Amino acid sequence: MKIYRFRALVLLAVFVSTLLAGCSAGAGTQEIDKPDEPLVILEWTGYEVTEYPQFFVPLSDKYGDNINDYFNVSVFGDDAEAFAKVQSGFNADIIHPCSSWWGLYVESGLVQPLDVSRIAEWENIPEAFREPGKFNGEYYFVPWDWYYEALLVRTDLVPEMPTSLADLWDPMYAGHVSLWDNGEVSFATAALAFGIDPFNTTPEQDEFVKQKLIEIKPNLLTYWLDYTQAIELSASGDAWIVASAWQDTWSVLVDEGYEVAYLEPEEGYLAGVCGYGIGTNNTNLDLTYEFLNAAIDPHSMANFTNEYWYGAANFAANEFIDEGAAELLQLDDFENVLKNTRFYPPLTAERRDLLSDLWNEVKAAP
Amino acid sequence: MRDETSLNPPVSIQDGHGGIEKKLTGIPRRSQLALLVAPSALWLIILLVLPLITMIGLSFQKSAFGPDSEVFTFASYLNFWQNSAYQSLLGKSLWISLVVAGLSILLAYPVAYFLAFHAGDKQSLLLNIMIIPAWTSFLLRVLAWRLILGSNGLINTFLMWLGVIQEPISGLFYSVNAVIITLVYIWIPFAALPIYVALLRIEPGLLEAASDLGAKPWQGFFKVTLPLSIPGILAAFLYVFIPTVGEYVTPALVGGPNGLMIGNIIWDQFMRGLDWPMGATLSLVVMLIVLLPLVFMAKAAQQTGLFGGKSE
Repeated sequence: MKIYRFRALVLLAVFVSTLLAGCSAGAGTQEIDKPDEPLVILEWTGYEVTEYPQFFVPLSDKYGDNINDYFNVSVFGDDAEAFAKVQSGFNADIIHPCSSWWGLYVESGLVQPLDVSRIAEWENIPEAFREPGKFNGEYYFVPWDWYYEALLVRTDLVPEMPTSLADLWDPMYAGHVSLWDNGEVSFATAALAFGIDPFNTTPEQDEFVKQKLIEIKPNLLTYWLDYTQAIELSASGDAWIVASAWQDTWSVLVDEGYEVAYLEPEEGYLAGVCGYGIGTNNTNLDLTYEFLNAAIDPHSMANFTNEYWYGAANFAANEFIDEGAAELLQLDDFENVLKNTRFYPPLTAERRDLLSDLWNEVKAAP
Repeated sequence: MRDETSLNPPVSIQDGHGGIEKKLTGIPRRSQLALLVAPSALWLIILLVLPLITMIGLSFQKSAFGPDSEVFTFASYLNFWQNSAYQSLLGKSLWISLVVAGLSILLAYPVAYFLAFHAGDKQSLLLNIMIIPAWTSFLLRVLAWRLILGSNGLINTFLMWLGVIQEPISGLFYSVNAVIITLVYIWIPFAALPIYVALLRIEPGLLEAASDLGAKPWQGFFKVTLPLSIPGILAAFLYVFIPTVGEYVTPALVGGPNGLMIGNIIWDQFMRGLDWPMGATLSLVVMLIVLLPLVFMAKAAQQTGLFGGKSE
């Protein structure tokens, strides 16, 4: 019996060592510059480099099917959610927040300054997009995509077309308006509707806007939480007007044949720009800048705009953008867009807390 | 003698255990008990007690992150105390849960009654039929109500076909009522089970005695069956009431602007507001308030021996 056990042990040892040898041999044949750990990207749903190679053309060309060895993508659907995740210890190497949140990341020490000399297309990004990401004389974010927030209107259902944000309060639309469940955005929408500068308010004005947001409740169907719900609410016909809707919601509904309009309110568009920041603990900067350059590449950006109808921060991409998308984005008259559009500036922590509390109180109000 | 064995634990376990077990394993009885309890105790300590302590600590912090997290403060409690919006929302959540628990019991009782007294040998089949829908995804069961209550839903289409209304009624879905309807639907099976068990325990002889003594069936029900099933009703109430107070998925999906509950605000404070101390405070307040009926009922049960405890 004992002899058998000894033989079995020897056999097992041989088996295990062959297995180990096989593994290390396999590891040896991989590409040299493959990182020990893939870079962790905290990304919006629908933008993942591993799922949408066409938005990162040079990277996809180079790494092809091996892309998963280099990048590991975690997704989020809401800026607040992403910030909470990073703040509570999620170690992201590359993060993709929008402009209102940029200051908070810098303030909390969650991102490191950029070396803009390593970004080939930096000069093709308009100043209006680059400047909000500048803190203490250094740039922290590579602007990538920009968007409008407009009224998504079911033209076949509304008794009369709305023309302004103030129309959202019109009893004509009772029970058929949907606001975004987002404090900063809904506050800005309401402030603009009543002629208040949303980014520079007094405490009295804050209180006034809060009351207006409570007053609109009888007009509301529900708050929409994410882009899929916004589409669903409009498609089902329950929501005649979806406020703060992005271009991609419209593009999806148009593709599916719904009679929807994407309406610029009289008060002008609210808009935001989003961009990539580098996490403080990221040390693999070579691969990081390779990723950033691939993202901002004109062809990558044009593919992105043509698919989602969002704006491309790299204006060198404009020549590859389809006519329809260019018209929607008003690319031929961008100076004018900048004049009439309110881009969200970075928030301070106090302001963010205030707006978040204000919004929770609006929702809790009877 | 139906189901006598399944309901009352077999007596043999309690009789003359120690000696035999000790002989078999050689481990003293005390250690045996400790070994048996250890896994679940550890589980509870790691996943319930420690998080609870963390939450209590968190609720006294100024902020969850950065240097402010070291600052001890009552600010969150003060904020709740002074904030009528949060209080009224908590009140509304309690009210919704109360209504849901009440309606669930009301609707579940006849089902349980039928199962216990009239289902005969189909009892287990019917019981399964009642429970099986609960196996489908929770989200699916919530959203299925859109097919009934939505503006293109069953009710609206039917009423329009009848000609009663010209335009769909839009307030059916996305409202407090939708939250209540959905929650009642989800919790009925869970309310029916404890009532069913309580009804099964009633000695049929008691009802026969009642009718022998001249009680009409409805008198028999109100004087014998109902009082004896009260433990089941109370258990059902707690089963439904406690989880629904903190509910947030259902109100988020069907509540609309006025159907939100305190759970939604707690979620928001943690996930997006980043005000974890406030979220922890609200959770603890909800927990304390939910504890009250629990303690009250435990007391009442002890005094009356309702749950089979010693009656004095």
